[in-house]
Parts: sequence; structure tokens; C-alpha cells
Amino acid sequence: MGGTHQKLRAPLFPGLAALVLASGYVTALLAAEQQRTIIALLGIGIAGVVAAAWLGLLDPVNRSFADREDALGALGIVATLAVGAYFHEDHFVLLLLVTVLLYTVATLGLNIQFGYAGVLNFAGASFFGIGAYTSAVLNTYTAVPHLIVLLIGGVLAGLIGSLLLLPVLRTRGHYAAVVTIAFALLLKTFLEVNDVLGGPQGMQVPGMNILGWSFNSSFSLGPVSLSFYMNYFLLSLVLLVVVFILSRRLERSWIGLNLDALRLDETAASCFGVNIARWKITAFVLGNFLIGVAGALFGMVGGFVAPNNYTFADSLILVSILLLGGIGNPWGLVVATVIVVVVPEKLQTIQEYRFLLYAALVIAVLLFRPEGLLPRPVRRYFPGWRP
Amino acid sequence: MDAALLAQYVMNGLMLGMMYALVAVGFTLFFGVLDVIKFSHGDVLTVGAFTALATFVGLRGAGVGLAPLLLIAMLSAALLAMAVLGMLIARFMVLPLRSAPALNVLLITLMLGTVLRESVRLFYPQGANPKPFPALLPQASIDLGRFNLRLDNVVMLAAGVLVIVGLQFLLNRTKLGLAIRAVAQDEETARTMGIDFNGIVLITFAIGSALAAFAGVMNGLYYNEINFGIGLYLGVIGFSAAIIGGLGSVYGAILGGFLFAGLQTVGTVLLPFASAYKDVFAFAVVIAIMVWRPTGLIQEKISERV
Amino acid sequence: MTNLLEAQDLCKRFGGVVALDRLDLAVAPNEILGLIGPNGSGKTTFFNVVTGIYRPDAGRVLFENVDITHAAPRTVYNAGIARTFQRSRLSLPLSIFDNIMIGNHKRLNQGLWFNLMRRHSFKAEFEQGYRAARALLEVFEPALAERMFEPAAGLPMIDRRRIEICRALISEPKLLLLDEPSAGMTHEETAELMKDILQVRDRNRNLTIVIVEHEMGVIERITDRCVVLNFGRKIAEGPYRQVAADGQVQVAYLGVAS
Repeated sequence: MGGTHQKLRAPLFPGLAALVLASGYVTALLAAEQQRTIIALLGIGIAGVVAAAWLGLLDPVNRSFADREDALGALGIVATLAVGAYFHEDHFVLLLLVTVLLYTVATLGLNIQFGYAGVLNFAGASFFGIGAYTSAVLNTYTAVPHLIVLLIGGVLAGLIGSLLLLPVLRTRGHYAAVVTIAFALLLKTFLEVNDVLGGPQGMQVPGMNILGWSFNSSFSLGPVSLSFYMNYFLLSLVLLVVVFILSRRLERSWIGLNLDALRLDETAASCFGVNIARWKITAFVLGNFLIGVAGALFGMVGGFVAPNNYTFADSLILVSILLLGGIGNPWGLVVATVIVVVVPEKLQTIQEYRFLLYAALVIAVLLFRPEGLLPRPVRRYFPGWRP
Repeated sequence: MDAALLAQYVMNGLMLGMMYALVAVGFTLFFGVLDVIKFSHGDVLTVGAFTALATFVGLRGAGVGLAPLLLIAMLSAALLAMAVLGMLIARFMVLPLRSAPALNVLLITLMLGTVLRESVRLFYPQGANPKPFPALLPQASIDLGRFNLRLDNVVMLAAGVLVIVGLQFLLNRTKLGLAIRAVAQDEETARTMGIDFNGIVLITFAIGSALAAFAGVMNGLYYNEINFGIGLYLGVIGFSAAIIGGLGSVYGAILGGFLFAGLQTVGTVLLPFASAYKDVFAFAVVIAIMVWRPTGLIQEKISERV
Repeated sequence: MTNLLEAQDLCKRFGGVVALDRLDLAVAPNEILGLIGPNGSGKTTFFNVVTGIYRPDAGRVLFENVDITHAAPRTVYNAGIARTFQRSRLSLPLSIFDNIMIGNHKRLNQGLWFNLMRRHSFKAEFEQGYRAARALLEVFEPALAERMFEPAAGLPMIDRRRIEICRALISEPKLLLLDEPSAGMTHEETAELMKDILQVRDRNRNLTIVIVEHEMGVIERITDRCVVLNFGRKIAEGPYRQVAADGQVQVAYLGVAS
């Protein structure tokens, strides 16, 4: 990521323009009903991105987001709320938006493991599923407050993940790969064989209920009636914002530095005091915790859980998002999640082919643009800070 | 437990071990030669099995009925096709990423595996469902007491042993094998000695992929059925087997393969109520072994210069 | 006066190769010791054993009279030993500042709460770290200090060596192990690098340096005394002039005595 030293803060405009364009585009895509319109829109979108990449326009946008994060983050929240408001009565679109938000939280967790610490996790969807099943069991059989259930889902995912971690610590990258793949395959088989957790049919998940406010009933704000998904949408947005900020702070700290150091050169890092085991464990557990929380909330949103939704292939989708967006760059993640979640939903014809397509896309990215759509910029501890 | 049941379990274990060993050896060859983990290996097995099946269907449709002929045709088609596929993978996906972080090769082959798997599922007629695989070996069996020794199992075991012995012979007694081992040891020196590095890599990938095809056909003949996910499952097992045996060691891979099969058999005996648990048991033990001896039972070659 | 670092009877083999053969070596406080010997004589292996990357098969390593023989690398670092590597091991995608700060690990607060929540305090520590890194880097190359937040990739070898040395020096170690700092550089660049290292040392008289080198001019100019290794054993010891004239040393390097 060489080039000239940025003496001045990157301008706000490229990021702002990109944000406005993206919001408008996503709204249009979500609103489009006919397959022809959708295909046309997708064509325009792809052409636009490729042209932007070729003309070198992605670079200033990337820098703008890195340097002007506070402003653009706030504007991003506003934009998301605007999009949500536009579709306030549309169940399908709001559900899709919630899916995007929660998948982004999960991939941010995966990013801490993979992008920062370099610990491979090919069981992301399994941990997501652990969170979801936690919601199913606790909401059905206990009276634990639902917000606490979210936390428990995260803790459980973190704990189970830490069990997998022991072999990983003393070994190299590919061992972690096989351990997590094996776990992903085994967990799914285990859930299907085991009737305690509903077997292949899965379980129902009672919806969220905070202090008597049921998330599963529609409500209205004055004359405007809202889909009940709006409840989940707002909560998911809050969750994403919190996780995004924490994840940024993590990267822009000595801990983030330790993680990068141990990912890039473990031997050298240990010669300068970095406790490799401690930070790998921290990153892995923290990442799984976030994935679990997102999964727990997602279970309540969807209303049911089944083993078939949390397979190895789904874990690879999460990894694909990371690779497409730009490993280590949360903004890239957001963009990639939108693409990966929204496109197959709108373009029903490719639903069946989505695993194939995304795998092929990642292969193309790895061969031709391995840094991803928005490559990770050099660390700025405090954007805009001058000595 | 009586002798007949024991013999049955042993036979089962040997068959599985043979298949796992064949897959594991492939992994170890790739790692040895290029320091890469080729995660698509298992799915190459799947494509190989389906290629054989397609050959069978095609030839049957053309009126060929002779079992040995069909079998030879299937094997040839599968081995040849997969050897070519292996070379293409090496040429276009693995060699170009030599200078990229090792992670990238792992990821790209993982994704490639998905492409192969999904392609079979989507494009082979009704690929999502398990497909019956013809029983082309002699179906006779001998009764030893109450144990029924199937002749086709014996043939397959013998064939597997022959293949492994043949591979060992190739690696240890031929010039090609010497070149492969040289490249596995030290790329630069091998090059300066005049060995065509790229050529050897391609050949090694071809051999490894042909091994996978062989294992795939064997799998089909043993279970009389194949499905698109079989490669992923066998690939993970084969990879684990290669690791506990010590990546880079062919003996270790064979040992690991049989060890895993042994663990599964023990698991089945101990936990008869659900076959899924045998896998959980086997993997748990494998993970424990990895914790105890991270570089495998036979030392993995670590070549990091500090 | 006790030795700062002492190796006693150190043995290390790799398969059939004996890298260290009952090595006895002592480093006095505040001296600059040259460690020389033909290729493969065990110099880098010695560094790797001291810093805990390899475990010796036999023998002891004492640092300030504390046994660090089987200590992990990070324990060795925390005790006050820092090093550079023979082949440059910088994290190229990271910024110059990041690379230097990796070396400052023990003086930085690594707590999760501190880093995530107490951002004002963190900022203060960050600024402090920046000033320290900058002051150190300016001794070596002020132009680099201007570009602290650019990635280390793409910089010439001499700049990368400078950054590596700053990484080793930033935590104010008691013992600095330099492994062939002149590799890949011209005579002029090496001379300048050495001059700068000595400048840092003058400011901090508490610094002891052991330097592995092949360029004898450097050894002659800056070391107080030398230890010569061959096949993992010490074959000579003393000021450079003395060891250079030693017959055994000449045989080791040249094959014949002159």
C-alpha cells in the first residue's frame, strides 16, 4: 500500500460520495421487483465497481474512510436508518437488512481471528449456529432475559471455541484449518443425529421480548405502521455499531499491533515479548464470542434453527466475505456482506449456485487482486492526528 | 465378541484404512514437494469417482457389458482425467501463487474444492442425490466359519497394496522418484542440478490426483454408492491422517490412514448407538494426538531458517 | 565484577550436525564484544539459544546471574536482551512506527480494558511512544522519522536495518545482540550504521553489545575484544589485533596460517 505520505487528512468527499451512491444503489436494488430490472442493476453495479477499480477511484475512497471514520461512520448510521425507514413496512427487505447487519457482526468477529491474528477458522457458521441454538433452548425452556441470552450465546461459542484451540496453539496454520473444518462437519452431523436439539428439523425460537415489549408484534409510530422486523433492525444496528467501534479500537491499539506482529512473524514477535498463546486465544475466543452473539440474535429473528443452516459451506461463505471485502478492513467487510447476502436473495435464479459463484469469485480475487476490494490501509492509531 | 464379528471389523478397518491412506499420501506428496496444502484433493476424488461413473453409464449405453472391460475403462478414464485436472490445478492455481503467503494457496484450493463439489452437485444429472455405483468385481465370497470373506474386498485390498508399493518403488527406485524427492528436499538445489522444477511439480500433482481417483473408484466399489460430498469427508480425514503421520512422510501418511480407520473401528465398537459418534471419537483422539505431538508421529520437516 | 551474560558448556546439535560444542563464553557489562568465525561456526545458533528460540542439549546460559537456559524468547526479552536477525525480519506491511513499537512491548500497557476503553490514557502512551521512537530514529536517519507512518515495504536495505536496530533499542535493553548488521550493505552504509549505534550507546552507557560480523573492519573499529568460534567451539579470545594474528584463527578462516 505504498505511495506518498499523507501529510493532510484525506478529504471527506470521496467517502461521502461513495456512501451516498452506495445507499441509493442498495435501496434501488432492494426495491426492484422484476428479475430483469435486478439483472440490469447488477450489471451496472459490477461495471461501475470494475471501472472504479481500473480508474484507481477505490483508493481515495478507502483512504477517505480510514481517515474520516468518525464522520463517515455517523453518516453511515444515518444512511442505514434512512434505508430502513424507506422500507419500514416491507417484511422481506427488513429481514434482509437485519441479515446483513448480523452477518457483518459475525464477519467482524471472524476478521479478528483471521484478519488480525491469522488464526484460521473454517467453522464460523457453526459458532453462529451455537449462538442460535442457545437462543432456541434458553428462550423455550427458561425465563432468562433475552438480552442475557445473547450474551450467553456468545460466551458459549467462545468457550467451545477455546476447546478447539489447544491443538492450534502449538502448531502451524494448516492444523487450525483442519481442526475447524472437522469441527464444522462433526457439529452438523451431531446435531442431525441427536434428537435432543430437534434433529434435522431443528427447533423453534421464541422471539425476543425485552421488559414486556414483544419484538414479534408489529407496532406503529403515530400514523405510520411498522413491520415487526423494525425492532430487530434497530437492535441489530446498535449491536453492529458497538461491535464495529470496539473492533476498530482493538485494531488501533497495542493489542492490534501484537496481533499483526504475531500473524506476520511469530518468531520475531516472541523475541520482543509478545505472548503468542495469550493473544491467539484472546483473538479466537473474542471472535467466536461476537459470532455467537450475532447468531443468538439471528436465531430469534428467524424464529427457528436447523443444522442445515450452519454447515461448512456456510462457513466458507463467511470466509469469502472476508476475502472479497479485503482482509482486515472492516469497511470492506460491510460492502462484501451486502453483496454476498443481498444479491442471491434478489436474483433468485442464482440462489442455487451461490456457493459455486462465490467460491469462483474468491478464486478470481486471490489470483488477481488478493488484497480484496478495499485493501487494509496502514494503521493510524488516531485518524487525523498530527504529531 | 466372537471371531466372526471381529474379523468383520478388521476387514472393514483395513478397507477404510487403505482408502484413507491413499488420500493421505496425496496430501503428503503435495506438501512435500511444494509446501502447500491442497485442500481440493478430496474433491478431486469425488470428481474422479463421478468420472468413472459417467464412463460406466456411457459405455453401458453403447452396449458394452463385459465387467472387466468396463472396470478398466472406468479406471483409465478416471485416473487420466484426474491426472490432467491435477496438472491444470498446479499450473494455474498453485504455481502462480508461489510467492504469495502460504495461506493464499490453502484458501484458493479450498475454494476450488467447493467449485468442484458444487459443480458435481449442480451439473451432474441429479448430482445432489447419492448415485449407485456398479459392482464390477467378482461378487463371490468365501465362508470362513461365520465370517463371510468377500472376494471383491480382497481384490481391492490387494490392488491398494499394489498401488502403494508401486508408489514407494517409484519414489525410491526410479530417477523420477529421485527428482521428486530432490525437489521436496530443496527446490533451489534441485534446480541447479538441472531438474525441471515446474515439470516435476506438474507430474507430482498428476500422480497425487490419480491416486485420489483410484481411491474414489475404490470407494464407489466398496459402498456401491457415491455422493458429491464424499470427497470433503475423505479429504478431511485424509488430511488429518497425513498430519498425525507427519506431513511430508509417505510412511507417516499410510500409518495415519490406518490409524484413523482403527480409531473409527474402535469408536464403532465402543459406541454402537450412533455411527456419527465414531467420527467424533476418532477426531477427538486425532486432536489429542496433535496436541501431544504437533509435528506428527513421524517428524514433519520444518525448514524455517532463523 | 560479574559477567552480564555467561554461557557454560553449551551444546546444540541438529540431527548429525554439531552446532555448538561445549561452548564457554562470557560477556562483561558495558563492553562491545565481537563474535566472529567462519560460516557455520555457530554464531547465529548461539544467539538463537541465548534468546530462547532453540533449547540447548546441554549447558547453561546465565544472564545477570539468573539461569535463562530454558527461558522462552519473551522471558529473555523481558529480562533485557534484544536482538536483530541475520536476514531482516521486519513486518513489511506495517508502518515504520509499528515495527519499532513491537520492540517496545514491555513498556506498553497490554491490558484489554486499557486499550479498548481508556482511550485518553492510551493516546498519552501512544504519543509518548511516538516521541521515543522518533528521537531514536532521528539518530539514524531523520528523513525516516518524517515518514514514520508509512509502510516499511519498499524501503532500501539500509533503512530496514536501521528500523530493525531501533526496534531492538527502543526498550532500552541491557544487552543488544546484533546479527550481521552489515549484510547487504556497502562499506559506507555500514560505517554510518556503526557510528549511529555507538552514538546511542554513548547516551546510554548501560548498553552491552555483542556483534556478529564478517566485515573485519567493523570488528576492528568498534569492538573492545573478540571471541572466535569454529565448529561450535571457542578457539581464540582477545582484542581484535591479537586474534587476527592467532595461527589457529587464520587456519580456520583461510585454511593456512600466514
